[in-house]
Parts: sequence; C-alpha cells; structure tokens
Amino acid sequence: MSHTLLAADRISVGYGGAPVIPGLSLDISRGEFVVVVGPNGCGKSTLLKTFARVNKPTSGHVQLDGHRLNRMRGRVVARRVSLLPQSAVAPEAITVGELVARGRHPHHTLLRQWSPQDDAAIAAALERTQLTDLVRTPVASLSGGQRQRAWVAMVLAQDTEVILLDEPTTFLDIAHQFELLELMADLNAEGRTIVAVLHDLNQAARFASRLVVMREGEVAGDGAPHDVLTADLVEEVFGIGVEVIADPQAGTPMVVPHVRR
Amino acid sequence: MSEAHRIAREPVLRLGTLIAVPVRRRTALVGVVLAVLIAATATATLTMGLLSVPLAEVPGVFFGHASPVALRVYDLLTGPRLSVALGAGAALGISGALFQSVTRNPLGSPDVIGVSAGAGAGAAYVGLYLPGFSIPLGSVLGAALAVALVAVSTGSGLANPMKLVLAGIGVSAMAMAFTQYVVYVAERDQALALAAYLNGSLNSRSWDHASTIWTVLLACAVPLLLLSVPLGLTEMGDDVAASLGVDAAVTRRWAVILSVVLAGGAVAVAGPVAFIALTAPHITRRLARSARPLLLLSGAMGALLLAAADLATQQIAIFEGLPVGILTLAVGGAYLGLLLVAEWRKKS
Ligand SMILES: Nc1ncnc2c1ncn2[C@@H]1O[C@H](COP(=O)(O)OP(=O)(O)O)[C@@H](O)[C@H]1O
Ligand SMILES: [Mg+2]
Repeated sequence: MSHTLLAADRISVGYGGAPVIPGLSLDISRGEFVVVVGPNGCGKSTLLKTFARVNKPTSGHVQLDGHRLNRMRGRVVARRVSLLPQSAVAPEAITVGELVARGRHPHHTLLRQWSPQDDAAIAAALERTQLTDLVRTPVASLSGGQRQRAWVAMVLAQDTEVILLDEPTTFLDIAHQFELLELMADLNAEGRTIVAVLHDLNQAARFASRLVVMREGEVAGDGAPHDVLTADLVEEVFGIGVEVIADPQAGTPMVVPHVRR
Repeated sequence: MSEAHRIAREPVLRLGTLIAVPVRRRTALVGVVLAVLIAATATATLTMGLLSVPLAEVPGVFFGHASPVALRVYDLLTGPRLSVALGAGAALGISGALFQSVTRNPLGSPDVIGVSAGAGAGAAYVGLYLPGFSIPLGSVLGAALAVALVAVSTGSGLANPMKLVLAGIGVSAMAMAFTQYVVYVAERDQALALAAYLNGSLNSRSWDHASTIWTVLLACAVPLLLLSVPLGLTEMGDDVAASLGVDAAVTRRWAVILSVVLAGGAVAVAGPVAFIALTAPHITRRLARSARPLLLLSGAMGALLLAAADLATQQIAIFEGLPVGILTLAVGGAYLGLLLVAEWRKKS
C-alpha cells in the first residue's frame, strides 16, 4: 500500500454559481506522477488550485498528509505544495533571477527574508531550466518558451515535495516540451510527487504513472494510462472518434484521431 | 553552480541570526540619493528667506541651544511647515505606491479613483456643517466613503483596474461638485479659507498639523512593514500569490485601507495636494527599476517632492504666495502628459 499524500474527499468547488466540481474524491499517493486530462472547462485547473489551497472547497475537504488544508496556514502549505497556475503575471522590470527567487517566499519570515538554502535552491532551479545565463535578463524580454521555463524555475525554487503544474508545456516548442516533461520525470524519480494538467494525450500516456480523465467536474477515468486510455473513453469524454495504437517507441497507448483528410 | 548565482544575488543585510534582508544595490543607491536631497531641501527651507534660521544655528535649533530669535522662527514658522510638508508628502507617496500596486496600474493613484476628492469633500463638509468635529477625521471618512462608493459601483470590488478608474472619475466628479456646492453656500470668509485649503496649502501650519500626520505615519508603519513583501507577490496574480502562501484579497484590502488612511491624513493637514501620490511612486520605481512596490522610498520621494515644491512657493518670486497644490498640479500634470505621450510613442 502506498502512502496517501493529498486526498480530496467529496469536494465541491466553484466560483459563486453552480459548482464547477460537484463532489469529487481523489487520492494522490507519494511518488506518483499523475497527469490530468479532459476537455476545456471541465475543471482541471480548479482541481489543481484546490489541491494547492488556492481555491477553498464549499463542502468536503482536502487533506495534506492527514491534515486538513483549510486548517493550515498558507505559508506552511506552500512549503510542501507548489503550483504553477495558468494565470501568472510577471511584474514589469522583474528579472529572471528575481522571479525565481520569489519561489523562496514560503521559506522566509518577516525578518528573515533570506535563508541559507535560498542560493542553492535558486541556482539548482535555474540550472535545471537552463536559465542560468539569463538570470539578469528582464522576464519581459524573454521568448514565450523561456518565460514559461522561468515560471517553472520559480516553482522548482520553492522546493516542495508536491509539485502541481497547470499546462506547463504551453508556449513551448516540441523539443522544449519534451525537455520539460523529462525534467518532471526526473523530479518524480527523485521522489517528488507530480500532478500535471496536459493537453496532449500521447504525452500524458507516455509520462504519467497514473492518468486521471475529467469530464464536467467529475473523474471519468483513473488508472494506468494503458488501462484508461481506450478509444471508447476518448470518444465518450472528448467527443471525437479515435484509434488507440501502441507508441512505436515506448509501447504506451497512442491516440490517433479519425478526422477527415 | 552556486558561482552563477553568487553573481546574481543582491547583498543580504544581516543583523545577528534574526534579521536577514536582501538589499538591491540600485534601490539602496536611490535611497541614499533621496536622503541627501531631502536633507538639502530641509536645510534650504529652514535657512532661506527673510524669516529664517542662519545655517550655523540649524544644529542648535534641534538641540535647543540656538538664539531665541532663531528658535522662535523655527517653532512658529519654518519648523511645523517643513515637518508637515515632509510628513504629508511621505504619506501621499506611500499611499500612491499602495494604490499603484493594488490596481497594477503604474498611473493609478488615490487622485484618480477619488480618494483625494472624497477627502476634500469630507473636510469641507465637516469644516462647515460640523464645527468642533475633527477635520482630519472628516477627511478620512470622506476618503473612505469615496472608495466605498467606487468599490460598490464597480460590482467587482477593487479587483478590476479599468472599472476602478472609470468609477473613480464619476465619484471624484460628484465629490468635487459637492465641495463646490459647500464653497458656494458658505459665508464669504469661510469660503475663502476653504478654497485655500482645497488647493492644498502649507501656509501657516502648526505643530498640531505636524503631529497629526506623523502620528498617522507612525501608526501605519508596522502594517506597512507586514504588507510590503506580500503586496509585491500579489502583482503576479492572485493564484501565484496564493500558491506562495499569500492571500491576495486580504493583502489588497489592507493596502487599500492604509492607502486611504494615509491620503486622508495628508489631506487633513495639507489639503488635497495634487499629483504627489501619482508621481512619487512612479518616479521611484523607474529610477530603482524595481519589480516590487517600494513603499519606504516612495514615501521619501513624496516627502522630497512636496518639500521642494513648498520651498519653490516660498523662494521663487513668480510662485510666491501660491498654494503649493497649484504648483504640484501644474508640474504633475505636465509629468503625466509627458508619460502618456511616451507611452503612446512606445505603442505605435
Ligand atoms: N475565476 C473564475 N471565476 C469564475 N468562473 C471560473 C473561474 N475560473 C474558472 N471558471 C469556470 O470554471 C469552469 C472550469 O474551469 P477550469 O477549472 O479552468 O477548467 P479547465 O482548466 O479544465 O479548462 C469553466 O466553466 C470556467 O469558466
Ligand atoms: Mg485550465
């Protein structure tokens, strides 16, 4: 039996109107690499934000290592769980180094706004995202792909056991997409628990240890990619006819859509 | 690996094991320059003109062993005036820095969203209809009412900068109309006094005014210290802030409250002095090229700007006797105009 790290227990989450997620339960175990997929607007981002204590459930609760998130202080949660949201805004004039350093905030106090571990954590984050040479560059003058990597580096600098990433491969070219996915796999191999929202089903199947398919705020499929990613499920959830073959390199399921032309 | 980062990191100011704060070199440099300029402006204010303290006696004034004449001039005239200029300027600078951060608008200021107009209207109302009621409190309540009106009429609180500015224009206009009305129906001598006050003036300030604004500043010091870092993080978006353990909504609410209190305090002692709240934080952040709001330095910049403008109204012949607010309005308006032109050029 693996150890449950994050547990959502019948959570309802919304933004004032009808709940986006109406009563969902999902346990994430230590060391998993969970990829969440699903159509636009089905509540993937909402789920991730609720796991990070950014959104608070209106009923049910999320537990981190047996403690209810809403009874913990934000900073304490942020030392253990980091999130790369879709809505990040880089302040004007901020440099890559300054942005990445902000990931260290949960480890600081009012009077100690620098901790001895900061240097190593920031340097490692920059190195792993290949941004070391750009540390003094303003984020505004980076390419879209570099900017996305700078945000990933900020999350890495936070140095948490759980890392939640919301569509981290957006804006990246295909080489950088796989570089980032490999980085996530490395982090996972080092013992960190990863939950990522991805759009590409084939990438999801290739990298996930566990695939969670969402539809309209509910879990429509959950398990090893090989078991979950069937033609029927993809058709049912995404409304598109597909054929599922084996990835010629890895043997993982690969989705080939039936489209005209 | 750590080599690369050692180049990047700013020096860390350490006091024992308890305190460790990174200090950006450029920010520190701007701070030093501001401190020198403030000292120079203050000295000039005290020593220039007919009624002044001779330069040699300035240290004596502070330690109480100057000549009786110098002490009297300082006590009754230049001392409180300078102290109010520095205090009100600092309050406006900090207030603007808070607002620009909350609205994520580099040209945001309590002037734009109606805080000053509301504070002016509150002060006018109290001054005329509620004699005996405290004018400082009246202006703070007026400012709070204006902000509450703006927050309610946007329908989304203080979250949407564009709506904030639009609602602010409306509320400002209403507050100014009310102030005009009060001036119109007031007795002639009351109206004249009120008109001078509503321009923003530092003529004949007393130590009471000085202690009011410095008390407000002192009372805000600890909350400002607590707010400074979280405020910078909320500029990255509410979700990023929350994922770093910062509640953006709470942070913004406190920033707005402090901004209103500081602007209200400044208006109470100096009238609604125009544009300091807009220009001081903007210039400061540009000079320091800072990615976070600089509350303390914006305060220093505001203090410098208002004290310098007041010095100009006292010593430059063509400005002589003018309420300082008219000078800051002219200079600040020109600065804003230039900024907008530069902004348009950049976009086209
Ligand atoms: N901040 C918000 N305020 C109001 N509604 C929101 C907000 N964020 C998301 N929603 C709504 O919640 C639903 C799910 O959104 P989201 O979790 O972002 O979906 P996904 O990430 O799967 O695309 C959508 O209908 C979206 O319009
Ligand atoms: Mg999303």
